[in-house]
Amino acid sequence: MTTIIDERFARIREIVCDVLELDEDELTLYGSFVDEFGGDSLQAIEILSSLERAFGIVIDQSELARMVNLSAVADVVAESFGKQ
Amino acid sequence: MTVIRGGGPVVMAWSAVSPFGIGADPFGSGVRAGVPAQAGPGAGGGLVRSVPGFDARALLGRKGTRSMDRVTALAVTAVGRLLGPDAWRPPAPGGPVALVLGTTMGSARSTMDFTRDSITGDRPHLVDPARFPNTVMNCAAGLSAIRYGLKGPNATVAGGRAAGLLALNYARRLQRGGRAHTVLCGGAEEYSAARGWLRRHALGPDGDGAPAGEGCAVLHLEPSHAPEAGEHGLAEVAALEFGVAAGPGEVRSVLAACLRRALASGPFAPSDVWAAATGGTAEAGDPERAAVADVLGRTPPVRISCADLVGDTSAAAATLQIAAVLATARRTPAAVGRTALVTSADRDGTVGCALLRLLPGAVRGWGVSSK
Repeated sequence: MTTIIDERFARIREIVCDVLELDEDELTLYGSFVDEFGGDSLQAIEILSSLERAFGIVIDQSELARMVNLSAVADVVAESFGKQ
Repeated sequence: MTVIRGGGPVVMAWSAVSPFGIGADPFGSGVRAGVPAQAGPGAGGGLVRSVPGFDARALLGRKGTRSMDRVTALAVTAVGRLLGPDAWRPPAPGGPVALVLGTTMGSARSTMDFTRDSITGDRPHLVDPARFPNTVMNCAAGLSAIRYGLKGPNATVAGGRAAGLLALNYARRLQRGGRAHTVLCGGAEEYSAARGWLRRHALGPDGDGAPAGEGCAVLHLEPSHAPEAGEHGLAEVAALEFGVAAGPGEVRSVLAACLRRALASGPFAPSDVWAAATGGTAEAGDPERAAVADVLGRTPPVRISCADLVGDTSAAAATLQIAAVLATARRTPAAVGRTALVTSADRDGTVGCALLRLLPGAVRGWGVSSK
């Protein structure tokens, strides 16, 4: 189980780095996508839709407001898995 | 020598990303040498002269290029050159500089790929949202302005081969109406399998067989009254005229009428025409060249056929033709004060011409660059 969650987190990290055009070591757990990494609203949608495609999950658009950093994104994905 | 100007926009500098390479210098050298750029097999069938070694990420860096399509990258590169290495004097970043870009239909590839993804994916909405902006035809102009902080009017004008001239007309209107002072104006076209396919099917068996091409050229325009225009300007856009041909057979007569109107709009004698840059290819028998000869009653001293050198660059063609005239004038002191004709005829029927008056800056240049 832990391995699956680690793999999932690594994949989330990879997706976020790809969308925000960051190196993996630049992205921190609580760094704000918008304030620290220059993210914008379209990139937020990109992260959401990339996660949906990567994991085959559905994330409600209302969750976008919460998805402000890596930690929050991981929480949203975990909850999504929990609902399945 | 002082050349009296007539109020049209003045070209201060130009940049080009073309099958001859990246920047004004390779384009100028290529045009003056008159040897066609290399052609290779196109992904959509037929031959293509593509921009060699063009890689958006390598040229523009990683930031902002992940989902940038080719036509946008070509435009961003050409606009960037005009603010940097190919600049006369870069307009202030963040200033209200206008950008007007000609296109055919944006990126055919981006539009078709995005639509296909929506139809073939598991669910219609499971598309890559980052690629959505690419499907809109003003993406190239918009992203160029965002990247360089060009906060003036931002316009995209669709018109195929005539797009560069239509964009110039739009730029002229912005300046005349007081909406903009400095305007960057050009045209961009990418090559892709999608465009190659569309082109091959649109031309059909009557296609002229000329290779496709791609690229982007951009002009830096100042209003005629700008103090620098007289001293440093390369050429004035003295007249622009347009018409519509109901079929390929009408191009010659409709364009001849445009050319006559352009020449009649000021003190422009047919005998003063130094160069003509026509848009057709030699293979097509070029009705544009025939129209120029009809109106002038002779062949002008310099004839430039860009399409023979860089392929059918569609929306980039007309601005590349203007750049070719300026690159040729750079080595021709006798051209100053004389005029050049630039003509376009799009397959959809739009026909147009520009009459340029060469200014002293065209030969003298304004910097150390060899173009």
